[in-house]
Amino acid sequence: MNNENTVMENGQVRLKRHMGLKASNTIANTIIYIILIVMSVIWLLPFVFIVLQSFRCESTWQVGYVVPQQWGLDNYINLWKSDFKKWYLNTFIIALVVAVLQTIIVLCMSYTLSRFRFKMRSTLMRLMLILGMFPGMLTMIILYRVLKDLGLTQANAVPGLILVYIASSGMGYYVSKGFFDTIPKSLDEAARVDGATRAQVLTKIILPLAKPIVIYTVLTAFMGPWGDFVFARYVSFGTSAGMNVAVGMYNWLNLDQIGARYTMFCAGGVIVAIPVAVLFMCLQKYYVEGVTGGAVKG
Amino acid sequence: MASVKLTKVQKVYDNKVVAVHDFDLDIKDKEFVVFVGPSGCGKSTTLRMIAGLEEISGGTVEIDGEVVNDLQPKDRGIAMVFQNYALYPHMTVYDNIAFSLRLQKVPEDEIYEKVTNAAEILGITDYLLRKPRALSGGQRQRVAIGRAMVRNSKVFLMDEPLSNLDAKLRNQMRAEIILLRQKLNTTFIYVTHDQTEAMTLGDRIVIMKDGYIMQVGTPTEVFEMPKNLFVAEFIGAPKMNIMSTELVKEGGKYYVTPFGSKIVVDGEKGEMLAKADAKPGEILLGVRPEHIALSKTGENAIPCTLEVNEMMGSELHLHVFTEDGTRLIVRIPTVDLSAEERASLVRGKELFISFKGKVMHFFDKETQKNLLVSED
Amino acid sequence: MKRYSDLEYLKLSKGQKFLYKLESFFLAIPAAIGRFFLGIGRFFKKLGLGIGREFADLGKTFKEGDWKTRGSYLVMGLGSMARGQVLRGLMFLLFEAVFIVYMVLPQGGLFWLGKLDNLGDQGVHKVTENVFGQTVERVVYGDNSFRILLYGVLTIFFIIAFIYTWRLNIKQNKIAQDYERSGRHLSSGRDDLRALVDEQFYKTLLALPLTGILVFTVMPIVFMILVAFTNYDGTHDGLNNLFTWVGLDNFNTMLGWSSGGTSYSAAFGEILTWTLIWAFFATFTNYFLGMFVAMMINKKGIKLKKVWRTILVLTIAIPQFISLLYVGKMFAKNGLINLSLINLGWITPGNELPFWEDPTWARITVILVNIWIGIPYLMLIATGILMNIPADLYESSRIDGANAWQQYTKITLPYMLFITGPYLLTSFIGNMNNFNVIYLLTGGAPTNAALSTAAGSVGHTDLLITWLFKITMGAESKYNMASVVGILVFAISAIISLVVYSVLPSIKNEEDFQ
Repeated sequence: MNNENTVMENGQVRLKRHMGLKASNTIANTIIYIILIVMSVIWLLPFVFIVLQSFRCESTWQVGYVVPQQWGLDNYINLWKSDFKKWYLNTFIIALVVAVLQTIIVLCMSYTLSRFRFKMRSTLMRLMLILGMFPGMLTMIILYRVLKDLGLTQANAVPGLILVYIASSGMGYYVSKGFFDTIPKSLDEAARVDGATRAQVLTKIILPLAKPIVIYTVLTAFMGPWGDFVFARYVSFGTSAGMNVAVGMYNWLNLDQIGARYTMFCAGGVIVAIPVAVLFMCLQKYYVEGVTGGAVKG
Repeated sequence: MASVKLTKVQKVYDNKVVAVHDFDLDIKDKEFVVFVGPSGCGKSTTLRMIAGLEEISGGTVEIDGEVVNDLQPKDRGIAMVFQNYALYPHMTVYDNIAFSLRLQKVPEDEIYEKVTNAAEILGITDYLLRKPRALSGGQRQRVAIGRAMVRNSKVFLMDEPLSNLDAKLRNQMRAEIILLRQKLNTTFIYVTHDQTEAMTLGDRIVIMKDGYIMQVGTPTEVFEMPKNLFVAEFIGAPKMNIMSTELVKEGGKYYVTPFGSKIVVDGEKGEMLAKADAKPGEILLGVRPEHIALSKTGENAIPCTLEVNEMMGSELHLHVFTEDGTRLIVRIPTVDLSAEERASLVRGKELFISFKGKVMHFFDKETQKNLLVSED
Repeated sequence: MKRYSDLEYLKLSKGQKFLYKLESFFLAIPAAIGRFFLGIGRFFKKLGLGIGREFADLGKTFKEGDWKTRGSYLVMGLGSMARGQVLRGLMFLLFEAVFIVYMVLPQGGLFWLGKLDNLGDQGVHKVTENVFGQTVERVVYGDNSFRILLYGVLTIFFIIAFIYTWRLNIKQNKIAQDYERSGRHLSSGRDDLRALVDEQFYKTLLALPLTGILVFTVMPIVFMILVAFTNYDGTHDGLNNLFTWVGLDNFNTMLGWSSGGTSYSAAFGEILTWTLIWAFFATFTNYFLGMFVAMMINKKGIKLKKVWRTILVLTIAIPQFISLLYVGKMFAKNGLINLSLINLGWITPGNELPFWEDPTWARITVILVNIWIGIPYLMLIATGILMNIPADLYESSRIDGANAWQQYTKITLPYMLFITGPYLLTSFIGNMNNFNVIYLLTGGAPTNAALSTAAGSVGHTDLLITWLFKITMGAESKYNMASVVGILVFAISAIISLVVYSVLPSIKNEEDFQ
């Protein structure tokens, strides 16, 4: 009797434990789902608001509701009539050129630092680490003056900005160097034994293998100029023709303009965000690869 | 098709670590030389210096009489097989093998000829359009060899080509390399850490340790006459038993006295000791496991206790320890033992072991050099 | 402090172990700083010895050189050309010619160097002239301090490059001479060109990127460091009103060592404190919350993993100026949130929530919005790392009886911290300089009534970097003070990095990854 009891108790305990595991798992998952749903709402709402307000026609200032009472494309039409077109084109040209040139420079730099062992290599890397600690904003003052002397400011800001964006892009070699480091060196060696020059090793072996990081570099280089505000504002300095979207639209939210332009800002935001976000979402896989690789490598 | 000559070749790294010390070696045309040694002994570094993948810090490397120190790898007339195969992952097997030919701008139909030829020899014709990642280890290895084959090089370098394969495949590929060598009929330099590979493949073996050459010789030479304790222990498996003992000379005859016994060094080894005028005293005595026998009588034999009995199929490896705790390994063919005898060999059993003079190796206790090998 | 042996350490209680580690950590800091200074000392010693060796070598090469080598001391490239390396020789010669011409030109290197000591005597001014018996006033363009400083720096860079090239030219002569003597083949111009795509390919690849960095990063930084020692600002613009060297005055003003200028130092102290607090919270809230989110999404049994991730990365995909400006306005006094709350009747007009008006509210709000912006990024990183943690670590710990929390603290967290140690450091420094989030959200608001400087007002959420921007854009354009702030930001980042790098064990050798 006594014995039986223990057996039964044991059984029950075991049963309870098993059930416990499953039940606690379900509870945990439910909590996680709730958190994730709440987070998703928080993350999505501002963007939903922007889209909704961009279609609002009854007023152009900030209001205390999100769903327009009167739907329409007024804001988009106003956008078309404003300088926004010009800014958008400026930004697009800058982003496109920078994406190409910056990628080339970054790849040159990172491939070299990953594969060659030359005398000044570690000095160079240390130097760039130190240079990177200087706030980039500091150099704006002189760069602005130099660009002005070259005639590359205000209305001609686009080539000036491109020049500045790509000139120092060699400093951002870190992520792609980390990627190159993961390609076995014996591939280079095999190719060199097979008769390839170093240049051929790069073009025939490494680059085809580096597709993910090339895409990552192009993507980040392309996205950078869309968001740059500080330097672009400096260089275009009050001349609408030389502004990018960030600078131009920033002014719309100034105290004196926000009442008239708030919904236009939303519409502009939608127009700017759509291509960039779509591109990003399509290439998300590569972005994740680059970001994680870069962080792991320091 | 070419001789390779290394004269005082040195490798010193930036941090002043010396990886290879004055390495001298003459490799004859069509010879198969194996560099063998534990990891970090400098064998791969030496090979890579010959290939031109590693800068030569001192000395000269000549291929076919030409100093190649300043030449790029591609200009040295070499082909190389890498440990991890180094197949180009984005190319098919065909393109991998054709890569070097394309760089030389060989016409495509000639490339086709050569690649399919090599593929046939290696038995990889069916995989020519696959990418390396779809191949098994052994197949990848063959592709790597194929890639080296089509280059028609003067010297064929192989850097631990079999170490990534499993044991069974390794044996098979080893045999194939021997066949390949006969077909290609060129100079081979082969690096491995596995002494079995070295013994079975090499015409000559270069045994290295800490950047120094310990011995150069044919497999028979290094097995039967190891120059020093390191070579003696490195070549042969299970490794040679080493006993600290005394060499005694009585009435013109030499004796050794391991563990209280007294064994006469007779035959060839005795004569050689006499010829070398070996001084009696403390020495290290080496005896290979297969040269030790179980003694039934116990007469002039060494008593010991069985610790582990490893059944290897055709033979038994008996791990025993003597009265003073020295551990020895004895290797006995199973066919010599009756079923009862085999059954009786269990942990704790008292045994007597004995060995003959002609199988002994004598090493100086200080220098660890073989007493019978004179310095040349 | 008592040093424990390994076995003694194992016997300590948990608390003792922690104290011991903490003590070791802090005791290691002075040693690390000491090592740093020793390192600097060693560097200069090595530099001195190196220069000495160079001179000795120069003398020796001249003594042992033939006429070709000796001639190259004066005419660069002479030796190379005489030995048949025409291309190389021509390049050297061309460089020397360009250098000499540049230096002696009327507005060339020597001209600028000569003016560098006081950055010019007189700017734009008027002179009275007697033209045909009439007194005429005429405007004359004088010196331009900005140009003098800029071209002075350029000239110094050029001189350094020239000395290096000259030395290289002599070294090459020495090598070529040795080769000639031992009968080795000298590389021809064609060989040199071929080497540029093969063993010297790195020179080709680096040429463009390094030139860019030199011209657009190194030189501006050198220039701006020099500006910190001048009185360059809106009034001394270098054209009408020249600026000149003022020594350490600006640093004294900024750090409060001189009397009278305390407002700068007070502002600096206040802003630095907030900058560090901000960087700390911005880094670690994102780090831990991001890791937490990644773990939730990666948990077995959670479905739609990809959907959750995609929703979160929206904040990365959409340009920050849109999301930050929009959210910034959302929280404004008459923004969407306050207006909605009024509409709902939860608050009354005049009692809006002071998101950007109250210092504490503002600071908390920027940190919260930064979490919104930053979590997705950390989630991606953490996901990558978490998937790389060997599963058998968890399996073996489960067999050892660890629960989920123990698994997190004993396996996940140490692994993450170890791998992301360097990343945390960069991200901390990055947050110190996170201009975008602060400037686009608040622009530094609310204004700190108790603090203001000659360069304008200071806000409660201003970071050093936004302050720097404000100083240059302010009414007085205090470029010199901005420059001082920039140098101090650099110094602070460098000190933090040095301490972390030399004390933390997890900073690994780069070759470990290869």
